[in-house]
Amino acid sequence: MEVFLRQWIEWPSVAAFIGAHSWVWPLCETFHFFGIILLVGGVGMFDLRVLGMARGLPPVALKRFIPWGVFGFTLCVVTGLVFVTGMRSNVPMSAYDVIRTDVFLQLKLVFIAFAGVNLLAFYVTGMSRAVDDLGPGDDAPGLAKLIAGASLFLWLGVIYFGRLIPEALG
Amino acid sequence: MWDALEAIENSGFATWVREAPTVLAYSTVLALHTFGMAFLVGLSAMIALRALGFARSVPLAPMEKFFPLVFVGFWVNAVTGVVLTMLAARSLLSNPDFYVKLTAIAGAVVSLRMLRAGLFGAGVKLDTGPVPLNTRIVAVAMLAFWAVAVTAGRFTAYSWYVRKQSAVAVLVAAFLMLIVRHVAARVFASSNQPLASMATPASSR
Repeated sequence: MEVFLRQWIEWPSVAAFIGAHSWVWPLCETFHFFGIILLVGGVGMFDLRVLGMARGLPPVALKRFIPWGVFGFTLCVVTGLVFVTGMRSNVPMSAYDVIRTDVFLQLKLVFIAFAGVNLLAFYVTGMSRAVDDLGPGDDAPGLAKLIAGASLFLWLGVIYFGRLIPEALG
Repeated sequence: MWDALEAIENSGFATWVREAPTVLAYSTVLALHTFGMAFLVGLSAMIALRALGFARSVPLAPMEKFFPLVFVGFWVNAVTGVVLTMLAARSLLSNPDFYVKLTAIAGAVVSLRMLRAGLFGAGVKLDTGPVPLNTRIVAVAMLAFWAVAVTAGRFTAYSWYVRKQSAVAVLVAAFLMLIVRHVAARVFASSNQPLASMATPASSR
């Protein structure tokens, strides 16, 4: 298993590409940040409305911004995979060992997983439909607010632990 | 001047933030700077996108209620930005890239205020109707200023040569994404339309 993961997570071609072209890492950093902005803007705006901010907006209309958040998340996943698979270009460590030892990277991945479960809960509990029925000025059910608050907390946690990753490297 | 900047870098506060062996110092200030950016740029970008005609079913007027949080983001970043500048005052304040970032932020904040006046100012009644061209231009300018500010912020750590290459790479990548989006939108639009309307160009919408 370990041998398999070691082989699978580290991509020497990605690391070599980053090493050969100085623009790859800063390019990915920049788009990782554009991704954060779109994710927090698109998804966070919806969460804030469910929590009660800008109540004049019907949440179902704000769902039109969610695809921008999904696009932002996709940017972050793609550029994040470049960072992890090409880790050796920046740190003399295998990607496998970084994932195995960097507690902040682990926490970040766990929080992303929690955010996924939270999103699933939004649909499974019927809160998505309940929120769709809200008109301008309507208050969301308590459980919907809990899920929206958890979403904001988890995504900010993802950003926080992402920023701490270098602290636990090597 | 140089000595004063050096004194700031070596002050007890700057040294602690930079070197304290705890994640609650440097990394947390950096994370707060990222939170501020996410709310300031993220929320204002969604408002700008709405002004440009995306998510047109969202009524405009209530979106003004997000502005307090946008300003919280701005002030969090003003404070954490000053702290982060103190940690490396000499290298940052002698870095042209850092002034590009500051100028772009100034442009973005001016555009943000103009956008707010254009969308929510006294006597403006837009709601779900079309947004005037002037205001849409301001929205595009604000998005461009934010993109430059974020990119220049990322690039401060790199050499001039790497910055130049990376800036071109960011532009090329953004351009490629726009092309992909345009093509995808056309393909998607034509596949969703009844056959009769396929004769008219999809771009007419």
